[in-house]
Amino acid sequence: MKKFATAVVALAIMATSALAEVEIIAEKVNENLDVISHKSRIWTNTKFTPVTLYPQTTIRFNDAKANELNQNNTPIIAAIAAIYNKDKIAFMIKWPDVHQDYQKSDSTDAYADAFAVQFARNFSIPKELPYIGMGSVDRPVIIHLQKDSVRIYEPNGNGDIEHQINPNQTNLFNKDLEAFEKQVINIGVADYERSFISEGFRSMTQIKDGTSHSHSTIGYSGIGWLGTVSRSLKDSYLDLDAVAIPVSFAVWNGGKLGRNGLKYLTPWLAIRLKKGESELVKSLTEVPTGDPVAGIKSMTTYGCKGCHQVTANDRENFMAPALKSIGGYSTADYLRESLVNPSAVVVPGYNRNAHSKYKWYTLRENNKRVSTMPDYSWLDPQELENMVAYLKTLKGGNE
Amino acid sequence: MSKRQLAMVMDLNKCIGCQTCTVACKTQWTNRNGREYMYWNNVETYPGTGYPKNWMELGGGFDKGGDLKPGIIPNLEADYGVPWDYNYDAIASGASFEPNVEPTWGPNWDEDEGAGLFPQDNYFFYLPRICNHCTNPGCLSACPRDAIFKREQDGVVLVDLDRCQGYRYCIAGCPYKKIYFNPKISKSEKCILCFPRIEQGLPPACAQQCVGRIRFVGFLDDEEGQVYKLVKKYKVAIGLRTDYGTVPNVYYVPPTESPVKFDANGKIIEGSGRLPIEELEKLFGQEVHGAIETLKAEMKKRKETGESELMDILIAYQHSDMFRLDNNYYKQVAKDKGQHPLAPVDNRYIAGKYTKSGHQMNFFHGGDLNVGGKH
Repeated sequence: MKKFATAVVALAIMATSALAEVEIIAEKVNENLDVISHKSRIWTNTKFTPVTLYPQTTIRFNDAKANELNQNNTPIIAAIAAIYNKDKIAFMIKWPDVHQDYQKSDSTDAYADAFAVQFARNFSIPKELPYIGMGSVDRPVIIHLQKDSVRIYEPNGNGDIEHQINPNQTNLFNKDLEAFEKQVINIGVADYERSFISEGFRSMTQIKDGTSHSHSTIGYSGIGWLGTVSRSLKDSYLDLDAVAIPVSFAVWNGGKLGRNGLKYLTPWLAIRLKKGESELVKSLTEVPTGDPVAGIKSMTTYGCKGCHQVTANDRENFMAPALKSIGGYSTADYLRESLVNPSAVVVPGYNRNAHSKYKWYTLRENNKRVSTMPDYSWLDPQELENMVAYLKTLKGGNE
Repeated sequence: MSKRQLAMVMDLNKCIGCQTCTVACKTQWTNRNGREYMYWNNVETYPGTGYPKNWMELGGGFDKGGDLKPGIIPNLEADYGVPWDYNYDAIASGASFEPNVEPTWGPNWDEDEGAGLFPQDNYFFYLPRICNHCTNPGCLSACPRDAIFKREQDGVVLVDLDRCQGYRYCIAGCPYKKIYFNPKISKSEKCILCFPRIEQGLPPACAQQCVGRIRFVGFLDDEEGQVYKLVKKYKVAIGLRTDYGTVPNVYYVPPTESPVKFDANGKIIEGSGRLPIEELEKLFGQEVHGAIETLKAEMKKRKETGESELMDILIAYQHSDMFRLDNNYYKQVAKDKGQHPLAPVDNRYIAGKYTKSGHQMNFFHGGDLNVGGKH
């Protein structure tokens, strides 16, 4: 058994080194990036870096069909490029998808292919970045989301309720009625592009105050998607003036009913804007030095599997977040922090009532979540490193 | 949990399946802008497929431990039915009468079919359904965006359309499938218990228009109210499928009487009843026995003595007596919150921790409202 485990880990380590996170160099350009799209010529001269997006498996949702469709998800490889000028930064992501799925205006159960780019609001302490899945308490993230969809009417976004009435119930006729219906169509926004601020799921709130400017586009190529986002380097939400910034990407597969947490995501990636030393780059590209095989032994000793699903072969119990992809979308620093200070980031249950049998956390004053997990800050540093090294090998899919 | 809970009682003995409630709701709320297929209020024939099709088998609700059970999101064509209309205008110029969409399924598709063999022992009754405004709503639990909230002042469960991002976990989570996805705006919508009416002291449209006078509306803690008396005092009104664990706040007086069966020769089988008690147990649990016993005893008492408070309530001599909506209470709530009308949005996230300002809401009638403000 031990031999088998060793072989599996060895394979995983090989995969790890092949897909190890490297820094992505953002190229400085002079072009205007305000309305850049996936069709812009500038991308043909830009270097793309392959990155891996891992299926989110931390929590499970309550959509039976979606759970069935997503149970055997494996990581996907995308390509990313970044450019910036004096006041804007732009990203392009290309990812494979054999089918174009869009949100339809006449279906109750169709979902759109989509992508999002996430920024950490504060990244001055690289070891304490926000939780990768939409941030965490006191560690907010800014998210730009673009879905492939038909025109979506927005009833509250424009504050317009007058046009929400049936044409038959207006007192208008003929030309006046036609004009009314035209007005109704004009309220519709052309596409589904949104910006959010979030401190963990459930708290995600759309930015509508007009102080953050971004522009995103999405296009299907026949074998995959091309998506771009450009945003200000500095606005009231973000200040990206640094040697390197942490950015992460997520994509959704509408065909698998993907939305919200049912997604593929990268870990925090280091986007380098300037030359120079960067603690952030070091943290985000760190390859743990511990012994993963010894890490397995420690995990067994401390009974991690009592609550966590660790590999895809373990029983799903969701008594605690599932860890089968954790090494993919987490940095070594995050794993270390979670072991020594489990309450630093507590992923909320997938809904308010979930896990009432086995609580993931308790709520203290000020609604602070305190993890049920014991803290392992007393561990021998080498043992801790071994466990981190093992956890970094857990990269989703069916082992 | 809300401070108070507004509830509805429906007396199934009096429902004639006329769909006036359905139409009242539809014309008030759901005949437009992507809601066309929705029935916030529907009346289905039971036993039957219901609306959406086989909703009782689509999951949602909570397990014994209190965890949300996975559910299925119904399909428009197969489970709800695509709404259709006819070419009324074209008929005038000689065209044949045609639907614009080939009807393949819709609400009430199996009206009056029921179960059993006609004419010997067939049976059915009508089951009007609205959102149950549950104390422990499956939809609210399932929402990963906290876009669904239960109003503190009356327990009405609402979707904050500003927060809703159209994930539809709520639809999977609601065991009654009484929350719907509006594909035109990509958000979930549901029965709002006509809160703009209620705040003015008017009953919900479905209850106001009910020709059978089957619907009582009032606060569960109002001991003088008929809802309290039917639910708490006499315990003759029971929640639907309480085994789902959501603690529904729409209560039903179960059907107590059913016609006798006929034998093969068409002769009456004395003392028989067509409605199997198992059907009622399935919908209302074991409590249904006590409820029927009380109803029968009170009916007997009324026949013998001419007195029965319960029968007087159920007869509903005055329609207006069926609604105890404390308008002054709402006025006080609005005053306390400094809002008039009350904001139909969840104020937990308006002008959030990091967002700079709230948003302006323009109302068709009445004043505009600034919620959240600057900070």
